[in-house]
Amino acid sequence: MEIKKPAIAGTLESSDAQVAVEPADSGIELYLESSVMNQYGRQIKATVLETLERLGVENARVTVVDKGALDCTIKARVECAVFRSCDASAANVPWGGAVR
Amino acid sequence: MASLGTIFPRDARTQAQMDALLRAEGIRRDKNLDYSCGVFDEDGALIAAGSSFKNTLRCLAVSSEHRGEGLMNQVVSHLLERQTEQGNSHVFLYTKAKNDRIFRDLGFYEIARVEGELVFMENRRDGFARYLKGLAATRREGKCAAIVMNANPFTRGHRHLVERAAAENDALHLFLLSEEAGPIPFAVRKRLVREGVADLPNVILHDSGPYIISSATFPSYFLRDEDAAILAHAKLDLCVFGKIAAAIGVTARYAGEEKSSHVTALYNETMAAELPRQGLEFRQIPRLALDGETVSASAVRQAIHDGELEKAAFMLPESSLRYFTSAEASGVIAAIRAMDEAKHY
Repeated sequence: MEIKKPAIAGTLESSDAQVAVEPADSGIELYLESSVMNQYGRQIKATVLETLERLGVENARVTVVDKGALDCTIKARVECAVFRSCDASAANVPWGGAVR
Repeated sequence: MASLGTIFPRDARTQAQMDALLRAEGIRRDKNLDYSCGVFDEDGALIAAGSSFKNTLRCLAVSSEHRGEGLMNQVVSHLLERQTEQGNSHVFLYTKAKNDRIFRDLGFYEIARVEGELVFMENRRDGFARYLKGLAATRREGKCAAIVMNANPFTRGHRHLVERAAAENDALHLFLLSEEAGPIPFAVRKRLVREGVADLPNVILHDSGPYIISSATFPSYFLRDEDAAILAHAKLDLCVFGKIAAAIGVTARYAGEEKSSHVTALYNETMAAELPRQGLEFRQIPRLALDGETVSASAVRQAIHDGELEKAAFMLPESSLRYFTSAEASGVIAAIRAMDEAKHY
């Protein structure tokens, strides 16, 4: 999927994560900020990258501000931000899959 | 359960609540806000609030009785969501110097601080650093100076100032305000400056971007506000400028003397006080006078506004004059004529 415009999903509240995606030209640029960086930073990063890969996102600037979200939350927020960024969030949202 | 809602400009009761909250928390209310929201408790009392103006978040406050409940997180989440809806992904905010930690936890990074007063932040980790890196590529050897100008439009007065600074230095970094503010589009202002300084090889033209006199650093430059706000914004703007100057090896800043515009005069005063503190020289150059009349962009706009293009003509260098007498400028001239106030306040 191609990131067409900036989009955001999630909140900065405890146990959530705010994911912002923006168009970029060369690969995935990931900026991660987390309240549990030392414990789970690597895990969060892997989850975000995996989700982007599953969605077929190749070029994006992704900013994640994590407030101790569970993996499933992070996945959902990343999916939602990506869908919003390419106007796939209005109907028939392909949760858990990729848009083909 | 507390709930978050919009605070509408005409909702006098809630506006009054917001004023009271800001006052209680010692935060000056900005005159120019284009959106406000707040968190209300079960009884409808406002316990947290936040506002935005263009791509900056401001007037962020949580009632001291409700600290530690994550209310600011809700407010900032909401404001950021709204910013993104409007297409702003690069967002700035101000906060009191001691509160920066709260916002660092919300994904904001410090750009500059006015010690003991305020901190200016952005939501990009490498935003300012990347901007500085881009500028550093234009760094020149020798004695370098900088001018920041609006050039609205480029006059013989600007030319006079640029010529003087270019002659006194090995290189001159010329920053042109890239914010759209007024009837003359940025692209036109830039073209007129580029043409107007084309014969000076040691002038390097830059867009000012979001970090120099932008609606993020200096909103009161564009919209009327009280002196305290102008001074605070000017100080902050100069803190950011100090870092820019360091990145490109600029040691002096030039500006024209200002008599007519209140905000620019205050800005000049602040520069005279602040720049030497940062080890930078501030050189104020007397305005160019032609036939006893002081040349200024305000005067040019005023003349165009009053329909006296001939009066404007002698203040304009050839390149600017060519533009204003071309068919292309008709829309811009009509827009200037339609303005209530052609001069900068």
